[in-house]
Amino acid sequence: MDARIFVASQWQLMWWRFRKHKVALVSAVVVIGFYTIVLGADFLAYADPDASEAQRSLMPPQRVHFFDGGRFAPYVHGVKGVRDPQTFKRVYRPDPSRKVPIRFFAEGAPYHFLGVFPATRHLIGVDGGGDAAQAIFLLGTDVQGRDLWSRLMYGTRISLTIGLFGVTLSLILGVFLGGLSGFYGGVTDTLIQRTIEILRSIPTIPLWMGLAAAMPREWTILQVYFAITIIISLLGWTELARVVRGRFLAMREEDFVVSARLVGCTRTRTIFVHMVPSFMSHIIAATTLALPAMIVSETALSFLGLGLRPPAISWGVLLQQAQNVQTVAISPWLMLPAVPVIVVVMAFNFLGDGLRDAADPYGH
Amino acid sequence: MLAYVGRRVLLAVFTVWAISVLSFAIIQLPPGDYVTSYIAQMASSGSVVTEEEAQNLRIQYGLGQPIYVQYLKWMKLVVRGDFGQSMEWKRPVIEVIGDRLWLTVVISVAALILTWVLALPIGIYSAVRQYSPGDYLATFVGFIGLAVPNFLLALVLLYLGFVLFNAHIGGLFTPELQDAPWSAARAWDLAKHLPIPALILGLAGTAQQVRIMRANLLDELRKPYVVTARSKGLSELRVILKYPVRMALNPFASTIGYTLPYIVSGSIIVSLVLGLPTVGPLLLKALIAQDMFLAGTIVLLLGVMTVIGTLLSDILLVWIDPRIRIEET
Amino acid sequence: MTTRWSRLTAVLVVGFLSGAVAVGALAQSAGKTSLVGKLEGPEVVTDAGKAPKAFKEAPQLAALVKAGKLPPVAERIGQDPLVIKPLKEIGKYGGTWRAGFTGPADFWNGFRCCSGPDHLMFWDYTGDKAVPNLARGLEMQDGGRAWLVRLRRGMKWSDGKPFTSDDFVFWFEDIYRNKDLNPTPSAAMAINGKQGVIEKVDTYTVRFKFLEPYYMFPDVLAGSTDLAGQWGAYKSMGGFAPAHYLKQFHPRYVGEAELDKKAKDAKFDSWVRLFVYKNDWALNPDLPVLSAWKTATPINTPTWTLERNPYSVFVDTAGNQLPYIDKVVLTLAENLEVLNLRAIAGEYDYASRHVDLGKLPVFLENQAKGNYKVYLDPGDYCDLIIKFNLNYDADPELGKWFNTADFRRALSLGIDRDQINETFWLGTGTPGSVVPVDSNKYNPGPQYRKLWSTLDIKKANEMLDKIGLAKKDAQGYRMRADGKGRLRIEIMTLGGQFVQYTQISEMIREQWKKIGIDLQVQEVERSLALKRTAANEQQLAAWNNDGSEHLFTFPQHVFPFELAAVATSGPHWVKWFHSAGEQGKEPEPRMKELMEKWKKAFGVPEKERIQLGKDIWRIAAEEVYIIGVVGQGPAAMGVRVVKNNMGNIPSRMYNSPDAKTPGISRPATFYYK
Repeated sequence: MDARIFVASQWQLMWWRFRKHKVALVSAVVVIGFYTIVLGADFLAYADPDASEAQRSLMPPQRVHFFDGGRFAPYVHGVKGVRDPQTFKRVYRPDPSRKVPIRFFAEGAPYHFLGVFPATRHLIGVDGGGDAAQAIFLLGTDVQGRDLWSRLMYGTRISLTIGLFGVTLSLILGVFLGGLSGFYGGVTDTLIQRTIEILRSIPTIPLWMGLAAAMPREWTILQVYFAITIIISLLGWTELARVVRGRFLAMREEDFVVSARLVGCTRTRTIFVHMVPSFMSHIIAATTLALPAMIVSETALSFLGLGLRPPAISWGVLLQQAQNVQTVAISPWLMLPAVPVIVVVMAFNFLGDGLRDAADPYGH
Repeated sequence: MLAYVGRRVLLAVFTVWAISVLSFAIIQLPPGDYVTSYIAQMASSGSVVTEEEAQNLRIQYGLGQPIYVQYLKWMKLVVRGDFGQSMEWKRPVIEVIGDRLWLTVVISVAALILTWVLALPIGIYSAVRQYSPGDYLATFVGFIGLAVPNFLLALVLLYLGFVLFNAHIGGLFTPELQDAPWSAARAWDLAKHLPIPALILGLAGTAQQVRIMRANLLDELRKPYVVTARSKGLSELRVILKYPVRMALNPFASTIGYTLPYIVSGSIIVSLVLGLPTVGPLLLKALIAQDMFLAGTIVLLLGVMTVIGTLLSDILLVWIDPRIRIEET
Repeated sequence: MTTRWSRLTAVLVVGFLSGAVAVGALAQSAGKTSLVGKLEGPEVVTDAGKAPKAFKEAPQLAALVKAGKLPPVAERIGQDPLVIKPLKEIGKYGGTWRAGFTGPADFWNGFRCCSGPDHLMFWDYTGDKAVPNLARGLEMQDGGRAWLVRLRRGMKWSDGKPFTSDDFVFWFEDIYRNKDLNPTPSAAMAINGKQGVIEKVDTYTVRFKFLEPYYMFPDVLAGSTDLAGQWGAYKSMGGFAPAHYLKQFHPRYVGEAELDKKAKDAKFDSWVRLFVYKNDWALNPDLPVLSAWKTATPINTPTWTLERNPYSVFVDTAGNQLPYIDKVVLTLAENLEVLNLRAIAGEYDYASRHVDLGKLPVFLENQAKGNYKVYLDPGDYCDLIIKFNLNYDADPELGKWFNTADFRRALSLGIDRDQINETFWLGTGTPGSVVPVDSNKYNPGPQYRKLWSTLDIKKANEMLDKIGLAKKDAQGYRMRADGKGRLRIEIMTLGGQFVQYTQISEMIREQWKKIGIDLQVQEVERSLALKRTAANEQQLAAWNNDGSEHLFTFPQHVFPFELAAVATSGPHWVKWFHSAGEQGKEPEPRMKELMEKWKKAFGVPEKERIQLGKDIWRIAAEEVYIIGVVGQGPAAMGVRVVKNNMGNIPSRMYNSPDAKTPGISRPATFYYK
């Protein structure tokens, strides 16, 4: 092993370092898992996320029975719901006589996988000719009777992709402006640095509130979506720019850069072929850490009523709909969307830390 | 040194001015103005405001003029220490903000202190026992604050407080002491209400501080003087605490500046949920109602707070660590 | 339609059928739960013979009288007290009423609970009849062209100065007619477009004179209109004002220069702003008032307190000067969840405003712990309506459909009202059309509740096919007749209201998929809503029609009545209506008929007016200019939480903005046991 260190490439070293950080490894797996949800949301959901039905309003998560008479044959009981005239709560009683078997890879509502391939199979579903995919509610339902699990699947897709777009934008802005700043120094540097300071000094929430309040309400959900990502990333780039600038400053005086210039490389070539690859790892680490901030920002904006709104579904929207006393007191399962938020943010943070530790393979 | 301080102060002033322009511009962005918002409120409660009345109101509130005129009018007042009249509250902005601003400061400082109290030990442990299960557990606790949506947590704690402890709902004071003059009783009342908001906010900022503490300490622990100290027979605890931790604290101190805007922002959301009489809920209402002097002043003051915080920490840092002075030039 | 939708239909039909029995049973019983009580309330004793001769007062006032700081109670009340028979028993003095409010925009909160109310006439507890209130009597003269208002002799403002006809003349001449204070004359002071005048007859008698018979005048004085007391002062209305106090802020009595200086000193840009501020019941503690309580610390502070008015003219049948309760303290709640949670925790003694119907189960759960009782007060109006903008012209095709009655009717048939009622009203509302409750005197008949207001998807589809929208696209949505693709319509909603308009519209969007209509839901801010309706940009809008049970004093949501509305049926028609045909566009025939009947009703005797009212609602129900969805529910201030130690609380109150609920139940008679 020791001998291999000397001939190993930079990326291999990074990988070896990264592997030591067990939790980061696990987190990487978790993150990959979540992004497969993004791809396969339609497949994993089994109900129409917008299908409302008052008779199943605020149904608690159903209990899944895994074994039926000794065999592995998961099922749920059919449920009957009424509104209690004294307490005004909706009360659901499982009907022991009705067993609804759960089928895997069941036929359900049609969708387009990856937006292209038409398909009708879902991970799970129920049959019952007509009742297809509507009679199981793994995580219960919301106030309009919509299945929470399916909504969560679609919400995951939107929340995680907002993060991606936002981070990409921050990345581009950060590398570009940070690079300019670090490489050229002087006036450019001062100007960009001061702008960064001003932006960082403004408390973000008022800035968001103001910007979001200014957004024309007649924009479609999609336009609002993109506007939100732009707003969030407009503030996120400062951290990346700082890192990039720092790296550039440190590297300007390095031998290999000087020699590149002496040999006659153009500025562009020096930057992109020689300098950038050496701090690529730092960039990756910083980017990974910026993503959870995006996700959290989206939830915060939705809470303020300024981000995505129904009928769009995102973690922020789901949490906003759970943000009331009756949910906490009577239908707490509606707060479950907080769990993926916590898991993903933690995972990205550990992953980012691991990447950053590994990014400096010649350091500690 | 003096030149550095002078430059930073100048920059701070410029930054504050830039914030004032930016905040005023942002407030004006939504369509309409305070009068349209006012008419809307009247309409929702069934009252009619005719076009002529609306125009009258606009003239009286000075809303008919172009934006830069209104901005200059505001600036003229600000430099005199008078922040204008809030149209919604029909009182001077200073009075409306009153207690709230410094209560925001109290909460933010309490949160900051809590952050340090949590982050320091976690960071130290994490650096010393890197990659151990204890490290993972400690960082998990440190990061959890970042991950949990704090508005939901606040609501849950509010409800649990009522159900389990019959606690008074939200606020920073019990109603009787809300408007009372300052006394020991009122101060103690405030202290009793602080833990929940400080906890929710403090947890959020912990992750960042843990990282910094950990990274700095790791740097320090590799240094030769530590090896020397160990070889000389000092106990492990003394080795860590006596020098490396103190050195690692330097950049720690410098980050106050950047943690502050983060905490102040976070306090806005938590204040909204917990119904705290701080600047947050006031700002949200003011932005929606387009009460421009009130909203502009709050954003300005928040910005000033953070700029001053940053300035102080930068100066502190330079004073402590001479190497940075050289880097800056 | 694709198989997905037919499966969906099957599921929903199955679900609906299986739940229908349960829902039906519950809908019956919900109305009869112990939460909705019997309508009752205190009565005003109008027979002067029965008025008490000796008076008693609150202990702290008695102490002030003894110290010589206050005249004796009999002198303060005058010769003609306003006698109210408490609902249950004579009460005790004392106590502080704790409540919550949401900020300076929440002034209705105080007017509803604590203003007396200070109308000249007011509704009896059924909300049906106008009886004398601050006015001792009202006499019709000259065939309805003149109304004589008799004031109460010896009645005083809260600072001890007499309340006389001078206060009416001052208001009329110096406020109402002052173009700076009041640029627009009020419709309440006019009949058939012609303005009336106020003249002094003697110290305690005032005459309102009109050019034509104004039979509706008593109702106008009783309702929350421009002639109904100091709640209207912020827009310079009210009918009367404290002349002795306000003269110092008026240019006619004080020089312009001096007045301008006063304004500048108080940080106001003009004397008008100063005047309006000083005349504001909620903002100015120095303003003399006639209400039972008066503002002590104003509404623009974190705690709005009101204290008893020592010159209150209200007394109970035993001669005790009302109110019983000493103080009302409203604390600022930064957001609605906190306010509701405080109510749940029992921190408020009486709360109905801002209480969220969706939290009803949590309130019920905590009744014992919080030591309070929950009551439901359903309103008589429709909690949720959907307006079509019949003047919409940005898209001629859509405009055409909005003006096609069968289009509107079909869309109405496509709404599953039971679903909405169950989900958002917890089953406590009544699905149906826009017409008010069956017992309302203008209700055209029980059959109009269900007219065009049931769920009939088959018929809706047939109707839409027949009018020319039969073609559908691949997803099953109807195509426009002009060939420009899918027919898409937009509904505008407001967030943060008592009713969840946006979520409900989402539900309706899903429901209308089954009749092939693509509905886009647009939630907007209030100011933007106003802007769009006035600019004729709104297509559909969701709102409620509270107040419309008093058809003639609150017509805003029956037909297009005002430009500044968050939901409109036709801004051009509004202009036509108010300018008597000069501006705007002439409405379509049946709407025109509706408007003319409404105008006519003010000048005809009651029997004819009732018939006109019924005709108006009949036209509204048949034409479906406005779709009614769920009505007679308690969503808007109908969930009432009252501590168990409060007395004289009715088991059911008439819930209406016109009645300033709970004002109609005379909170001055509430007391702490």
